Amino acid sequence: MDSAIVFPGMGPCDFATVARFMLVNPVARRLVAVAGDVLGYDLFERYRETSGDYSEYAQVAFFVNCVALATWAREEFGVEPGLCAGASFGGKAAAVHSGALGFADGVRLTAELVRYETEYFAAEHPDVVTQSFVRVPGERLAELLAEMDERGEWYEISCHVDEDFHMLSVHRDVLDGLRSRLRAHGGLPLYVMDPPLHCRAFGGLRDRVEAELFPTLTFTDPAIPVVADQDGSPRDTAAGVRDILLDGIVRPVRWPAVVGTLRERGVRKLYVSGPDQLWGRVGVTTRNFEVVALDPRWATRPRRRDRAAQEHRTAQLHRAAQERGAAQENLARAGASLS
Amino acid sequence: MWDERFETILRKHLPFLPDGAQLTEGSDLRDLGLDSLSMVDLLASLESTYQVRFRDDMLSLGNFATPGALWATLSSVT
Repeated sequence: MDSAIVFPGMGPCDFATVARFMLVNPVARRLVAVAGDVLGYDLFERYRETSGDYSEYAQVAFFVNCVALATWAREEFGVEPGLCAGASFGGKAAAVHSGALGFADGVRLTAELVRYETEYFAAEHPDVVTQSFVRVPGERLAELLAEMDERGEWYEISCHVDEDFHMLSVHRDVLDGLRSRLRAHGGLPLYVMDPPLHCRAFGGLRDRVEAELFPTLTFTDPAIPVVADQDGSPRDTAAGVRDILLDGIVRPVRWPAVVGTLRERGVRKLYVSGPDQLWGRVGVTTRNFEVVALDPRWATRPRRRDRAAQEHRTAQLHRAAQERGAAQENLARAGASLS
Repeated sequence: MWDERFETILRKHLPFLPDGAQLTEGSDLRDLGLDSLSMVDLLASLESTYQVRFRDDMLSLGNFATPGALWATLSSVT
């Protein structure tokens, strides 16, 4: 197995680029229409009219676009890796792409989770936020956390993005001090996420979602294994994929563990399906794989313009298509010789 | 005004800056495509090229907002 497909965690998107993809790409148009039927509203119009990078509409649109890009790459170029993974938010798209969860259920899960999270964090942990930062390798992070332990400050690591790139959930009132100490350790604080992500402390949310929302979803065994972003374990059962999504609420993302599993399984080429600003670009990913970004900007680029760049990107996809075609041809030949 | 090395390094991290377009002190680097990860790469490139280390108070996103702000920060450690 030399390739895998991964679905990125969510980040802010350039609406103009994404909107063009949603309107022009045939697979995206089809899935946006299905999502609209499931939700009972015009997804594109709601997305266009509503501000906020993480509104329900922005989140559903991100999910739909991630699935659409992977589907389009498969239908148009024969990109069909035998292994997949999702980082954080990307777990939902991975579940759908793997075949463990139907697309309509994925849409409902995405929209309903936003509602559950909004309600939960309005009442619980309203002062907890998640700070991302880079340039703080493990040993320095351990020192920093030991300092926080000495002061009795609560924290949880929410995400290990790379060896020196993490996300830490803390109470808002220690945020300024945390940033100062990160800089003192040579780190660069990036962004603060509110609501926060991936903490054991959110067990109440996990319990509620498991009791109320998940029984309305149908999980089946996936057609291809899904690598869990919590520990890098490959899951090939309905229950295993379901647990990835539930555990994502309370367990940190360990992206280097996902990378490790993919490497162990022989993956050398990684398709990143979605508007990604992080997972396909961090060092642990680019050092280990040839990364092919399946993003809306590429998918909507006019074919006759910018030919050099287009040819460079599509050549990789065409090779995959040719390999698949050759395999099919061989099968046909084998069939002919038997008949 | 900054030197040629600075401009060359900076331009590599600005995918939305058209070829030949002028970079001014007040250009909005985020608008020109400098996102958080490319900022990290840019910081590493500048530290490596100029053989410096950005100190505590320099490691804030505001120092990467414009070429002028970034050059002033870099100049203070070179």
